[in-house]
Amino acid sequence: MSMRAAAAEPSLLDPARLARFHGLVLRVPGGAGEQGGQQRVPGRADAAGLEVEAYRSYTPGDDLRHLDWNALGRLDALLVRRFTAERRLTFHILLDASASMRVPAGADKLRAAQELAMALGFIALAANDGVRTAILLADGRTRVSRPHRHRQAAAAVAGELADATGGGALGLGAALAAHAAQHAGPGVAVVVSDLMSEVADLERGVRALRARRFAVILAQVVAPGELDPGRTLRHGVLRDAESDDVHAIRLTRAALAEYRTVVEEHLAALRALAARTGSVYGRLVAGTSVADFITGDLARLGLVRRR
Amino acid sequence: MSAAGIANPAGALAFLALAALLVLYLRIRRRQAIPVATLFLWRRVRAPLVEPRRFRPDALFWLQAAILAALAAGYVRPYLDRPTGGAPAARLLVLLDVSASMQAREPEGVRFDLARARAQREIARLSSSDEAMLVTAGARASVVLRWSTDRALARRRLEEVTALDVPTDLAPALELALSEGRARAGTRILVLTDLPPSEGGVAAADLAAVEWTRIGHTDDNVGIIGVTVDEPPFADPGAASVLVLVRNFARVPRRVVLAAGAGGTPWERRDLTLGARGSASVTLRAPPASGALELRLEVDDALAADDRAWGWIGPREPVDAVVVTRSPALAAAFERLVAGVPGGRIARIAPEEWTPAVAAGHRVAVLDGFVPPEEPDVAGTLYVAPPAGNAVCPTAATAAADVSVVDWDADHPILRGMDGLPPLTLARASALAVPGWGRSVVLGGSRAASVPILVAGETGGRRVACLAAPLAEEPLASDRLSLLLLALGTLRWLDDGTGPLAVATGDPVPISPGVGASAGVTVAGDPPVLIAERAGIHRLPAADGERIVVANLADERESDIGREVGDTPLPSRPPPPASALARSDATGWLFALGLVALVVEWGLWTRRAGA
Repeated sequence: MSMRAAAAEPSLLDPARLARFHGLVLRVPGGAGEQGGQQRVPGRADAAGLEVEAYRSYTPGDDLRHLDWNALGRLDALLVRRFTAERRLTFHILLDASASMRVPAGADKLRAAQELAMALGFIALAANDGVRTAILLADGRTRVSRPHRHRQAAAAVAGELADATGGGALGLGAALAAHAAQHAGPGVAVVVSDLMSEVADLERGVRALRARRFAVILAQVVAPGELDPGRTLRHGVLRDAESDDVHAIRLTRAALAEYRTVVEEHLAALRALAARTGSVYGRLVAGTSVADFITGDLARLGLVRRR
Repeated sequence: MSAAGIANPAGALAFLALAALLVLYLRIRRRQAIPVATLFLWRRVRAPLVEPRRFRPDALFWLQAAILAALAAGYVRPYLDRPTGGAPAARLLVLLDVSASMQAREPEGVRFDLARARAQREIARLSSSDEAMLVTAGARASVVLRWSTDRALARRRLEEVTALDVPTDLAPALELALSEGRARAGTRILVLTDLPPSEGGVAAADLAAVEWTRIGHTDDNVGIIGVTVDEPPFADPGAASVLVLVRNFARVPRRVVLAAGAGGTPWERRDLTLGARGSASVTLRAPPASGALELRLEVDDALAADDRAWGWIGPREPVDAVVVTRSPALAAAFERLVAGVPGGRIARIAPEEWTPAVAAGHRVAVLDGFVPPEEPDVAGTLYVAPPAGNAVCPTAATAAADVSVVDWDADHPILRGMDGLPPLTLARASALAVPGWGRSVVLGGSRAASVPILVAGETGGRRVACLAAPLAEEPLASDRLSLLLLALGTLRWLDDGTGPLAVATGDPVPISPGVGASAGVTVAGDPPVLIAERAGIHRLPAADGERIVVANLADERESDIGREVGDTPLPSRPPPPASALARSDATGWLFALGLVALVVEWGLWTRRAGA
């Protein structure tokens, strides 16, 4: 979908517009929960369930209903069926609301990030998973909501996300680490940000989340001008939206080409970070369709599936 | 040879707009640094850095600068003078008489209007490169317009000038015009007046450089040339009399009616028959009321300004004085003096009993050999034989002996009604000096030096008189008539401090601080000086209410509008050179250039905004 068409699309912050995401579910590798639910968690076999995942030797105390009598007859061994765990996941949607999300002025990255976060949150709520929003504000402050558990909570989630206005400086890695320190997993941390920070700093935050048993989804929202600044920058006095530092460079063609290379390196570093930390990384270009991103890019990553 | 110049040098300040534009751009540029999400990626780019402060203006800036530069350059009005082969540029100085006689009516029109029309014609003849200057002459010279090539401005200034009710003193204005003429070769000086050159007040040889145009010839005028209101001291207003002098300046007999009114009540009408250039005096007695006195000649003559005169009659308050003295004889003498005045009141205290509250309720204080630290809060104070070193009346330590009156100021109001002072000799007198606020009214002389006997003036808004004669030793008896009259006249003058001020139009008169100007009366200077430019009764705003000023023209020379003077013809002078330089004014071109730049700038801005 073209950018112009995306701009004309109704806002996904309106829960009524999210009906198209019914029947979808977020499958997060490594995502788990303590409470029972509908989310299948392969690799964590339970004593009870619907889908047999594995067997193990009988030990006294095991439920004799799950003893595999066929195996006893064929193998003369006492084996007990183990089932795929079904858990309720809690999605922590961490939305970057720093000043950098408001630049470039025409792209409105924050709006795209809010819509993406809302869509993911709605999918989670529709699958009876829990959702907790965490708005990452300036100076390390985070506005964390109570857990939402039902689809009817979509309006509350939309309100919490829409309240993020953007402004101030944010150290993303430190904010993620702080969130991990205050909220124990297991769960799924969906980081919606432009990820325009040093990868090493970001990695500290991701690893802190992983250490607290969070599966991590890195959803990057970037503006077209950040990937290819040639069309938006006329002169070279650049100001960091968060630190107000000024950097004046001569924007020659060579400089712009080099910038594109640097950006590609940064994106590659983010992908490498995701691979290293077992996270999922996806990139949404602001101005394009969020719905297409979810049902296209995230589905290809295996993150979004039909139930 | 061509010469470039600017007609409005002060307009060069408009170029500051360019600096303002630059500052504006720098500020906007600083504010418009492009915000990016992060700089750490940009810092990895090995592109050459730009000096942040370096200003790299775009086409829009240059166009806006061009607009401002063109407008500012047009505002300074640059010009280029190129020789045309003719005569050099001309300068015209018009000296316009604005005295009262210029209000005289001639068959062709009012003299002043005729003079102004002539000046307008002369200015209209000037080329755009010629300069004109306007000077008016009334009682004082005034520059209405300094040298300027702006003919429209000159015409406007001329229209704003009016003839005043003041006498003529051409000499200062002529001297000014001649000095301008000497400073700028080729200046044509045009004098427009009803006076002949012989009354210009400058040497005839100097007038060779002047083009003297005499306006008017009629002598048809009857005017009031003098008004004297005589009010006996401390007497009822009904005892006042008014002496009016009326003169016929025409060379044919005239009959006129003099109508008088006092306090808004008609008083008297007198038919007067005046011979050719004859005069008559009229004495009016027993005014029906006190207040404004208005005199009017009912006559249809050429000059109306001198057909009316004004005065003021009482009402007078009886004398009310506090006498501070150790001398019972002096107190008794003042009591005897005041006893003859109905309602008069004298209070006596010793200097030791003096407090400022003592003077409250009295209008005059007489302080005998005593000067209190603070000035008494009364209308007037008489210091008799003030001690040496006092703060009010400068007095030397050594007293003068055998002082005789040698001179007096006959025009001073203290001596009004006295036909000179009878001989007076004082055995001893304080050695007064004349302070800055006063003047010597009566001057005495001893063997050693001359000594002021009576000094009077106004200071701090109050009237003050210093009398050198020790009245305690010089009895105020009828055999000392001079001293008696002097003391009485001084008391009257001191008591009259807040009464109407009678002035002649055009005469500068010192006035108390705090008095403001009004239409026809200017008050300026420090100490303030009042000049009435219009005859009549003026009520000036003052700190304590209002101050009434009675202004009269009463000037025979001004009323004599048909002066016949055997003038010697002015030396012939060469005709003034015509304009020699053709002046090209670039103002219009520069403004047009600015307009073109504005259109281009607007187009560029629109394109950018659309993009």
